[in-house]
Amino acid sequence: MTGGEAPEVIGELRQILARATGRDDLLGLPAQTPLFGAGVGLDSLTGTLLLREVQRRFGVDVAGEDLNLDALATLGTLAAFISKRTGGDGHPPG
Amino acid sequence: MMVKCVIWDLDHSLLAGVYLESGAHPPPPDPAMVAAAAQLRDRGIIHAIASRNPPEAAQYAAQATGLDFAAAECGWGRKSDAVRRIAADLGLATDAVAFVDDDLYERAEVSAAVPEALVLSPEDMADAVGWPEFSPAVVTAEARRRGQMYAERRRRLEEAREFAGSRDEFLRYCRTEVTITPATSADVPRLHELSVRTHQFNTAGAAVPEPALRELIRSPAHQVTVVRLSDRFGDDGVVGGCVVELGSGRAWTVTLLMMSCRAMGRGVIQALLAWLARSAGQGGAATLAIPCLVTPLNVPLRLALAAAGFRAEERASPGESSPRDNAAGPAMVLFSRPVTGPPPELPGYVVTEASSGVAGP
Repeated sequence: MTGGEAPEVIGELRQILARATGRDDLLGLPAQTPLFGAGVGLDSLTGTLLLREVQRRFGVDVAGEDLNLDALATLGTLAAFISKRTGGDGHPPG
Repeated sequence: MMVKCVIWDLDHSLLAGVYLESGAHPPPPDPAMVAAAAQLRDRGIIHAIASRNPPEAAQYAAQATGLDFAAAECGWGRKSDAVRRIAADLGLATDAVAFVDDDLYERAEVSAAVPEALVLSPEDMADAVGWPEFSPAVVTAEARRRGQMYAERRRRLEEAREFAGSRDEFLRYCRTEVTITPATSADVPRLHELSVRTHQFNTAGAAVPEPALRELIRSPAHQVTVVRLSDRFGDDGVVGGCVVELGSGRAWTVTLLMMSCRAMGRGVIQALLAWLARSAGQGGAATLAIPCLVTPLNVPLRLALAAAGFRAEERASPGESSPRDNAAGPAMVLFSRPVTGPPPELPGYVVTEASSGVAGP
């Protein structure tokens, strides 16, 4: 799956990530940029804020379903993970 | 469950009167409540305020009582919301807070909405100082300074919000120093306390008794490490620790890794994991393994492991490996990473001391 399949979800994730990190420059983050490591530097604090907001907004418990947190590789992989569980439109089921 | 934070109502609870009804002369603090609060502070229990008053009331209460308040929620919303916000803000579970209010309706509201919190009247509070929930077995130097450290944390967070640069730049601006050293017997009470108190950053999920820690420090097959943290806002003392089983094979196994959630976001866990990987590589290991009890609480630790290149071992069953695989409860999962390649860089704010027998990076 590529990030291109869920552009609206990616757009919303960019805003969540910018808020979690306090960095407005991440509003333009490409969907394929790694979130861990140099660049974004997602850590336990910003990662926890991101996961909490994803759960609140999309109803998806990433940490509960993905032991290695591979979904957090990039915004694209995270959007794909969410879309797969929400039927593609980013809205929680039901 | 041990209470880590007491959230106080002000009017007729911590104060002997009503703040807004007293004009130019706000009511004095209630001496019995201040005495109880000071006693709890000396045991490492922190204090916060949830009051239907303007924010000035919290400033007045701090000045009048001489207590440090780690958080203050002043406003006219529901007290249960204030309790939840304070717990979230301080990184505490809501079953680790007590709420003290003279108003029966406020107590009922908080009890109904946050049933896991301990809800007390001021009369209860005078007595509760002797209850086990308020009586930690050990009181370390870190515990006695805890209230003050939360006050320092508030100032740090306020500056972080204003700071324009990246997190690493902020850590440098704060003159953050993470010191990693071999543990000595003097560290045993604090290591034990960390094993009891830490949940978000704890791989074992079980308290380690002091004699067992002393034994591990003496054992030549183990390496016990403590991590200290300080910056220009204050000295947090020992905020983390780990136990490594050096093993005879080519793997080092971290049998216990723990860090205070107060140190979250300050580069400590990242520094410790990088240091462990470097030390293991230099010690001749090919793999660094970290068995971890996966719980809903220690997601922050899993994030740190993922960021540091650790992977959970493949499950025997095909399909996605999910923490929910084990319906019976939390599962012990082996996370590991190879340490044969180029060692991860240590952040610039890390200071290490070589231990006897094991060279620091």
